[in-house]
Amino acid sequence: MGLHSGKTTAEKLAVKNGITFYRINSGKFKTSRADVFFVDNLSKERASGNAILPLMMKRGCESYPSVQALEGKLEELYGADINAGVTKKGELQFIGFHMSHISDRYTNGERLFDQCSDLLMCMLEKPLIEKDGFKESLFRQERDNMVDYIRSRVNDKLRFSLSRCIEEMCADEPYSIPEDGTEEDVLLLDPQNTLALYQQMIKTYPAYVYISGEVDDKSIQRFIDQFMATVDRGNIKKINPTNVNKDIKEVRKIDEQMDISQGKLCMGFRTFVEPTSEEYYPLVVYNGILGGDAHSKLFRNVREKASLAYYAQSVLEKYKGLMIIMSGIEAGNRGKAEDIILKQVEAMKKGDIAKKDIEATLKSLETGMKTMQDGQGAIVDFFMSQHLTESGEDFDSMIEKLKAVTLDDVVKVAQKVQLDTIYFLKPEGSRNEEETI
Amino acid sequence: MNYRTLTFDKLGETIYEYDHKTGLKVFLAKKAGYNKKTAMFGTNYGSMDSVFKVQGNDKEIHVPDGIAHFLEHKLFEQEDGNMLDKFTSLGASPNAFTSFSQTVYYFSCTDLFEDNFRMLLDYVQNPWLTDENVEKEKGIIGQEIRMYEDNADWRVFFNLLDCLYVNHPVKIEIAGTIESILKINKELLYDCYNTFYTPSNMAVVVVGDFEPESIFSIVDEMIQFKNTGKVEKKYPDEPKEINIEYKEQKLAVSMPLFNMGVKDIAKVSGFELLKRRIALGIALYHTLGRSSDLYSRLYDEGLINDSFHFDVSINKNYGYLAWGGQSPDPKKTADIISETIAEVKSKGIGQEAFDRIRKSQEGMFIRSLNSVDNIAREIMDSYFNDTNYFDVGKAYSQIDIDYTNSVFREVFENQTALAVINPL
Repeated sequence: MGLHSGKTTAEKLAVKNGITFYRINSGKFKTSRADVFFVDNLSKERASGNAILPLMMKRGCESYPSVQALEGKLEELYGADINAGVTKKGELQFIGFHMSHISDRYTNGERLFDQCSDLLMCMLEKPLIEKDGFKESLFRQERDNMVDYIRSRVNDKLRFSLSRCIEEMCADEPYSIPEDGTEEDVLLLDPQNTLALYQQMIKTYPAYVYISGEVDDKSIQRFIDQFMATVDRGNIKKINPTNVNKDIKEVRKIDEQMDISQGKLCMGFRTFVEPTSEEYYPLVVYNGILGGDAHSKLFRNVREKASLAYYAQSVLEKYKGLMIIMSGIEAGNRGKAEDIILKQVEAMKKGDIAKKDIEATLKSLETGMKTMQDGQGAIVDFFMSQHLTESGEDFDSMIEKLKAVTLDDVVKVAQKVQLDTIYFLKPEGSRNEEETI
Repeated sequence: MNYRTLTFDKLGETIYEYDHKTGLKVFLAKKAGYNKKTAMFGTNYGSMDSVFKVQGNDKEIHVPDGIAHFLEHKLFEQEDGNMLDKFTSLGASPNAFTSFSQTVYYFSCTDLFEDNFRMLLDYVQNPWLTDENVEKEKGIIGQEIRMYEDNADWRVFFNLLDCLYVNHPVKIEIAGTIESILKINKELLYDCYNTFYTPSNMAVVVVGDFEPESIFSIVDEMIQFKNTGKVEKKYPDEPKEINIEYKEQKLAVSMPLFNMGVKDIAKVSGFELLKRRIALGIALYHTLGRSSDLYSRLYDEGLINDSFHFDVSINKNYGYLAWGGQSPDPKKTADIISETIAEVKSKGIGQEAFDRIRKSQEGMFIRSLNSVDNIAREIMDSYFNDTNYFDVGKAYSQIDIDYTNSVFREVFENQTALAVINPL
């Protein structure tokens, strides 16, 4: 062991054919990985199509033309893994492909990176196609699965209420589009138009590659030389910045009913803070004090003092400048819970913040930044975010910026935060009248 | 200071093991290069310990469902404030979990480990319960229970356990029910605490880049258990037969959801348990995994999707294999799976598949060593199952295809059961 355990860095290796290659330096992991991201502007027209692409890639490729063949090969490679899927950050959609395998020191001399990256390249560059479209039978299955998947969003009540809140809050903004699109847009997909979209992805979407773990220079060079080498990527698409501003005329209140036991309250706020602005760091601290950890105002007041909830927390969407407060409560306690939550938001604006709370938050954020470096995937995600916003920060510099935040900075940000939408997913048949104190 | 050092050269890992004079077992897994440090203090006591004799009393008591989990919540509360607050004020991230057979308190941090570690060892030894703070917790846990009532994956899993088990308390809801927690009071909580929070029934696990003496001397300084009684656990005999074949519930979901499974009533522990767990893992992976004929068939027929998963849980006092996911037709899916299981039982696993899956599973084990949290949990779990975490490698090399086929056949002599959640 004793590989460099110091600073975690991302070193730019090459920009080639419209693809930026990075190497993550951190030697403590037992696995090596390659993470590939294609980036697109989040749009109604392409969100569903982009989302079905990784599903099609996972069905196999020329050399391993079925899931069974592909998975069998991965098993032979000591349980190597290739996963793929879409995520959204702000108003951008990411199509990610993630390959990982155990390091060669554990394989009795077998070298895995070249073999696994060949498999990854095969999936990406030689998917299962017939005539001018994706293989029809596979395509139909994946389209059906996507429809089922989108419908099953309702199964997870917390995530469902969160995404409904965001859909309503950002109704006329691209951010309202779910990361894997909508059922009606999935149904517009066919093998031909999806293959055309695939061509757009590999030819025109900006692409980033991160290689991490114990991979030797020769294998890295081989990867850079071969990855997408035959694809003409001369015309890379422009990516739009996410808009964090919007005029809030009045607070929207949306109640929906479902046959459930627990009501889910989601309160959507806008912070009007860009991820690249200096105000971003005070915002992170603000969110931590208000609803981050067990020391936060929401946890203390909604859960510990009033016993209204098991969870009461706030989360930031960094790129869109949103803050959502969530809590699961009895329907009859809804008014009480809203009051307590809004009082905490008000207290933040007034600067009613104990010194020990700001200190605890700063420490907890520092711990978070340090432990993030113990997760190989988390490191990739961190640097991806930095490269996306061209922030140039690394873990250490970000910790310094957070530690420099003062109470005044937090209060200044608190002034900007505005309530936009209150969404409540309400148990059917629950009492409509609210308890009054 | 006397401790044992176990090094695993091939994996580059070292574990130190220390026996405190009270009988408390202490482990340190050294993790070089990691920022994160974690410590767990756990008791081999969980939701299934519902009937027991309180020390000094010959009569068995039957406690309300969910009491182990309730006690977990309450230990965080101390006379001078909430422990969650104290840990977070030092930049640590504290938490706890209650499972069928364990209650574990832990934190992770990057700095000030020793201060946090002292706090952990201190508060778990010193409950502070009042009638008032016990009552207050009922609202919070009530909402936790409500949250699980709406969670279809959780519901279908507990419905399966209810199908499989006739007597065994593993089928009891971990958090209890809204009704059962109302019966919990301070006295009952102390009875549970005094019975199960004793050093011989507990363990401490630390993972991080530490020297062993520095950790074990803090344990020496902080461990002062007054109560050093032995815990006698007794679980009812579980018959071979299942409780019910099929259970159905309706919830607000988009399409049916199923869990199917079989129980393992063999009583094994130690190295045999490890071997059995790994062999059943290989056999089940072979039967249901993404490279299996069955998976392809079910997927191609649209009977399962990406949500399909399976789990092998083989422990000292209970064991089951469970699998499931979304399906438009759970009964048809279950029938096809049953046919395939019968086929695998009669034909056995082929050598090529066995070698390939064993290699893959061993790779997964090595991969799991990336995670500090996972290592800590596994060491605790291994100790409470009387197994040795780093014997996993040895177990992989010792199991063969005949053993694997025989345990698979043995377990599937028992009947399977099916639980389904249908949309409203």
